[in-house]
Amino acid sequence: MLDFIRDPSFYNFVRGPLVWIAFLVFIGGSVYKIRALYLLAKGEKAVLPFIDGQATLRSLMHWLVPFASRNWRVRWPVTILTFTFHIGLVFTPIFLLSHNVLVYESWGITWWTLPEGLADVITLLVIFSCVAFLIRRLFAPEVKFVTFSSDFLILAISFFPFLTGFLAYHEWLLPYKTMVVLHILFGEIMLIAIPFTRLAHMFYFFMTRSWAGSQFALWHSKDW
Amino acid sequence: MAVKEKIISRDFPEYIREPNPEPDFDRPIEGLTPEKIEKTIMAVLGARTARIRSVVETCIHCGLCSKACQWYLSNDGDPTYAPVAKIRMTIWEMLKRKGKVDAEFIKQCARIVFTECNICHRCSMYCPYGLDITFIIGLVRRVCFVLGVVPQRMMDQDHSHATSLNQVWFAQNDWIDTMQWQEEEVGAEVKDLQIPIDKEGAEVMWLPLGAEPKTNTYHIERTAKIMMAAGINWTVPGKDVWDSSNMPMFLRDFATMQRIVRGLYDNAARLRIKKLVLTE
Repeated sequence: MLDFIRDPSFYNFVRGPLVWIAFLVFIGGSVYKIRALYLLAKGEKAVLPFIDGQATLRSLMHWLVPFASRNWRVRWPVTILTFTFHIGLVFTPIFLLSHNVLVYESWGITWWTLPEGLADVITLLVIFSCVAFLIRRLFAPEVKFVTFSSDFLILAISFFPFLTGFLAYHEWLLPYKTMVVLHILFGEIMLIAIPFTRLAHMFYFFMTRSWAGSQFALWHSKDW
Repeated sequence: MAVKEKIISRDFPEYIREPNPEPDFDRPIEGLTPEKIEKTIMAVLGARTARIRSVVETCIHCGLCSKACQWYLSNDGDPTYAPVAKIRMTIWEMLKRKGKVDAEFIKQCARIVFTECNICHRCSMYCPYGLDITFIIGLVRRVCFVLGVVPQRMMDQDHSHATSLNQVWFAQNDWIDTMQWQEEEVGAEVKDLQIPIDKEGAEVMWLPLGAEPKTNTYHIERTAKIMMAAGINWTVPGKDVWDSSNMPMFLRDFATMQRIVRGLYDNAARLRIKKLVLTE
């Protein structure tokens, strides 16, 4: 297995075509999913006429800001955990120096990057959050009762890119080259999985919140 | 001393309950065949509408909705009372088995959605995605309703609505008679007090709940006094529908539910009413 991963042709594959495939599937799949749900809602006639832009924005604001909604305050440990996790998950890959260097080498463009030490700390926080989520899933009764194998799978999908990235940066456990191949592979798996698993909540979040916010505004109530 | 026997679910070992003291669902499930159940489930859930899809494909199983639920809180955090648990034990299982569930399963679903959920929408206020959990519970209620597995009292109210368009088996003459009787009754107390029936062009139409003319008639005279004191130009409808309690809504009996709402608005349009005032 390790020999296979170490093979230069495999490296060329994950570094070349598979990146394109992953991004195409991720973007194309996401657009397809959003469009499909939108068209479905449009066909039903009972959803879109009730969507209220202002209520949507208010609802999103209260749930995208930590402690801005009642449940974020009631469940404050989970709030800290989930915001650390999600902010790290979304922004570290985009602003990581090494990723920027790759983009710069390919197309000559670059943008703002995180200091390497800070990126390292955030990566560790994401890894710990994943472990904390796992512990919560295994031991909190209300979560345990609704846990399926797919829940562990999507947790693993978001966990391994960060773990392998961290290990590759520090050159621990496996030689750098091997680890980096694994890291790229897991990253691509995550991108491909987003539109087709419940990781789709990345974009469904905005749509379901819009519906909830609009509905509660209609009832002269608030959903936060 | 006899040990109280607990009901243990065959599908979910965590689901342990006291026996239901209400008339239970044994009789309604007698005639149910697997084919009938499958056909009903597919008819209600099979189309996978946008609202079903958005819930099923987004829910990350985080359990954050649980502290919204009064059933969960008042049962010492028993996980089987959490909103997401109710979804897991009903619709997820129905979708997973593609509607191939047995009568025993439907009976358990009916117990969960009718006797352990008040469809109050609080869980949607606690869900980070704002998922419409109540809507899903409503669909499971509809499956149970179409199969006839409904608590006896709710079914009786639904039959009453379907037959007489009110919750208390009142005929139209009973209703008008009650209004006139109340007007007479208050006449001894308050001079010139009226309960105008079918007054065209009134500003407000008052729509009581079925129980008011049936058992709590003093509500009617009090409403009349309040309207008089406030100097409001008001009326009550003389024709069906006058009962604003929409019990079929709780069963998701869409046909009867629509007849009632339409009837209320038709009355308002007929008399050119500006505002509807409902008892709650």
